[in-house]
Amino acid sequence: MRWWQIRKRDEDLDWELRSDLELEEEEQRERGASPEEARYAARRSFGNTALIREHTHEAWGWAKHERLARDIRYSLRQLRRSPGFTITAVLILALGIGAVTAVFSLIDAALLRMLPVQRPEQLVEFKIINPDFPVNDAFSYPEFKSFERQTQVLAGALAFRQLNKVDVEVNGSSGPATGQVVSGSYFPVLGVKAIQGRTILPVDESVGGQSPVAVIGYDYWRTRFALDPGVIGKHVLINNIPFTIVGVTEPEFYGVQPGEKIDIYIPLTMTASVFPGFADAGGPADVLRAPFRNWLHVMGRLQVGVAREKASASLEPVFAQSMRVAVDSFAGLPFDSPAVRKSFLQCRLRLDPGSQGLAALRRQFSKPLWIVMAIVGLLLLITCANVANLLLARANAREKEIALRLALGAGKRRLIRQLLTESILLGLGGGAMGVGLAYWGNRGLLALIARGRNPVLLNAQPDLTVLAFALGVSLLTALIFGTIPAWRATDVDPSRGLAQSGRSYADATMRHRLGKSLIVLQVAIAIVLMIGAGLLTRTLVNLRNFYPGFNPENVLLLSVDPTVIGYKDVVPLYEQLLQRLRTLPGVQSASLSVHEPLATNVQSTTVKVLGPGGQKEDLASVNIEPVGPDYFRTMEINLLRGRDFLWSDRSGTQKVAVLNQSMARHYFGNADPVGRFVSIPGFVGDPSWIQIVGEVRDVKVHDLRESEAMMLYLPLFQLPEGGATFELRTAMDPAYVQTEALGTVRATDTRLPVSSVKTLQNQLDDSLVSERLVASLSEIFGLLALLLTCVGLYGLMAYNVNRRTSEIGIRMALGAERGRIALMVLRETFLLVACGIAIGLPAAALTAHWITSQLFGLKPWDPITLSAACGVMAVVAIAASYSPARRAASIDPMRALRTE
Amino acid sequence: MAKQTQQGAAVLQGTLDMLILRTLLYGPAHGHQIGKHIQRTTNDFLQMQHGSLYPALHRLERRGWVVSKWETAPDRNREFKYYRLTEKGRKQLLVEESQWKQMAEAVARVMWPAAEES
Repeated sequence: MRWWQIRKRDEDLDWELRSDLELEEEEQRERGASPEEARYAARRSFGNTALIREHTHEAWGWAKHERLARDIRYSLRQLRRSPGFTITAVLILALGIGAVTAVFSLIDAALLRMLPVQRPEQLVEFKIINPDFPVNDAFSYPEFKSFERQTQVLAGALAFRQLNKVDVEVNGSSGPATGQVVSGSYFPVLGVKAIQGRTILPVDESVGGQSPVAVIGYDYWRTRFALDPGVIGKHVLINNIPFTIVGVTEPEFYGVQPGEKIDIYIPLTMTASVFPGFADAGGPADVLRAPFRNWLHVMGRLQVGVAREKASASLEPVFAQSMRVAVDSFAGLPFDSPAVRKSFLQCRLRLDPGSQGLAALRRQFSKPLWIVMAIVGLLLLITCANVANLLLARANAREKEIALRLALGAGKRRLIRQLLTESILLGLGGGAMGVGLAYWGNRGLLALIARGRNPVLLNAQPDLTVLAFALGVSLLTALIFGTIPAWRATDVDPSRGLAQSGRSYADATMRHRLGKSLIVLQVAIAIVLMIGAGLLTRTLVNLRNFYPGFNPENVLLLSVDPTVIGYKDVVPLYEQLLQRLRTLPGVQSASLSVHEPLATNVQSTTVKVLGPGGQKEDLASVNIEPVGPDYFRTMEINLLRGRDFLWSDRSGTQKVAVLNQSMARHYFGNADPVGRFVSIPGFVGDPSWIQIVGEVRDVKVHDLRESEAMMLYLPLFQLPEGGATFELRTAMDPAYVQTEALGTVRATDTRLPVSSVKTLQNQLDDSLVSERLVASLSEIFGLLALLLTCVGLYGLMAYNVNRRTSEIGIRMALGAERGRIALMVLRETFLLVACGIAIGLPAAALTAHWITSQLFGLKPWDPITLSAACGVMAVVAIAASYSPARRAASIDPMRALRTE
Repeated sequence: MAKQTQQGAAVLQGTLDMLILRTLLYGPAHGHQIGKHIQRTTNDFLQMQHGSLYPALHRLERRGWVVSKWETAPDRNREFKYYRLTEKGRKQLLVEESQWKQMAEAVARVMWPAAEES
């Protein structure tokens, strides 16, 4: 039998019972009883028909469901009867559940979700451990090939490398795209299929540079080609080299690095065509041959039944062998030195789980996202307390109803279950609305993290995991806010509850105390959230006001890469461009550098120095930055000793360098480094000595929080690389110069693409994405917490005054002044808030300790933030209790006493 | 009071199913007839509680041991819900019968051990 047949069955049963009852009645009559007697006798012998029916229902096996359905129907009716309460509770819950769900969906997409590939749990990420350097994940191509042959532990290995933006020209119009070079095994080993055409295959790699094919990502297909199925076989130019598009990947595959979206994939053996300067084909550092040229990320798929530890143990000798080959290949190369050899030979291999893809995004956003999750979790607790208070007040209003039901024989457990059903319905209603809110809020969140130096593009469509999470949270929330009120509500003595004026004062006081402690809890949590928000916001402000060693105001950054359109020697072009840009109206001075200031990529190497004490070298890592003439003047970096780079520092003249304070201190102590020499064979491929001509103060190169790093500046015109960024110091807002500057670039070479234009201040802001994310979210949620607490406080005080109307009336009749009555209400509020603060402050101290690493320029126990949070709370408390206090003061004693 | 009735029904439950099945062996019958038959055969020793009879009938039907159908009674011009034993119910009756026999003998051996010896 199905549950929808119950009604029919019930009718049937009713007929059956009635016909048997009538039969019994007839038999009684046949025995000579009067019709009346017969009816009563029949009824007597049958007993309670309602009970028989109930028991028979149980026999059908659907009694539980029936009871549930009845509870739900009854609860819905109850909720409909008080729409004000229902709407308020659902809205409050939707806020809390929505916030938690939105943040969770972000965490799920960024930190938890597995790669959309086959059997992701079998994937491992290859890492290199070197005691002297941070963990590294770049391998050489020959090394990758030797891993690929270890088929007894690896079912397959894949290699890839994301390169700079490539220029893709389709039907004569060009545009930038995110490109990645991949091994032929990349798609087959991941198990990612093409939805159109084919993927890149091992054969594309094995024909060595003879396979100009490209596979595009689904999103790129959509945005650039409007999902045109004719894209297969289309010829495009990638960095001016003709390629044929052979396939489109599955829509859910974005690449193996969460937060990145790859537009176009090409075989890694084509690297030399697209990035000739980088590939150094035929040279000593050939990306496909040099055993020391570490440039590829490597991932592997473990053979079935092989553990990560075992695979790592059997790959270690292969890795060690390839390191020895690399060191042997150093012979005769300029950067060969015992120190470099030692650093190669002490490397060890490590395999990390690769099921979620590369870990970079997780490292960057893990802590900030969990902080935000903790914040919304606390906010959810506040909403629980708030709704629990609403339910308590409602329980008081329903006291009579519940007493009546208890008196009629309803079981207490049964009543609690029914009240909990109501709570769960509220929770589910709030959850459903919350998911809607989360969906909407998610776009904002994604937009917050999608702007930045490395835009994070996440596929954060709410999926089943997120929906299941929201459902779980709704149910849990319902249990948290519903249990205590339900238990308290049924704790009524029927005889007293039903008596007209015999209202149990003790019971009400008890319930009132519970309401008060819930308010104290809300105040405490709100204090914690506000202090957190204050600390994180002040951190952001501190970072923005922090002086990074250069002046970030009024600087325009403009990046170009002439090698993309075929330039071999970029220096003449750069000189010409710089001459034109620095003479633009409004531009005070101009220079250029290989990397943008505060870019995430930095080059580093080890150095030798020649000082008064002779030659000195160690394994310390020094960042190298090639920059143009007048760089330090343009960036307003303090020159401590010596001179800035000049136009005359060009190839053919004496090689020169400028170092920073940290490097000077490390290698020369307090002595003057100007006039000394430094050598960087590992970087320039030439062991000759470079003269130090200046010393500048330390600046933040990469990130505002970094500690001082050693830095060596070289003249860009002596050491040209591919692309460069021009820095223009302007007299006014750099936006005014932007059009002119772009025009100048076009006038110099119409084909030269400008890959980015922004101000240095933008660049600085973009480096603070995760800080801004936590700061703005903690502000929003802190405010919400404050608002909810304020509403809760108001509700409690208003209810309180209402309940005590007659008591206040008596007090007034006995001569209490109105002012004192108002003060009494205010004092009660203040006491509650004080309790909340007393609990909240130590709790905040504990939590602030946990986020110490996220703070900048202030201590977790920051007196300004603490006192501000308490002050705001106090003001809000007064505002919330102002109207109840006024109402209390305006009670008319005569009327109050008359209603009693 | 309600509690007492429930307890009584629980004790009787195992045997009630058997008694109903046995009664239906004579042919189809409606609820009232079944109750009356059991009561009469035991000389009114077993007072049939309607409160347990109908749930028991529906339970047997759910397990597929009996089937029901509305039919007109031969002696009265009115429809009753007739229950009929199925093949499955017949087998179940044999099972329950032998179980009950074993049970009764076991109880008897404990209660009157002397009778066994003689």
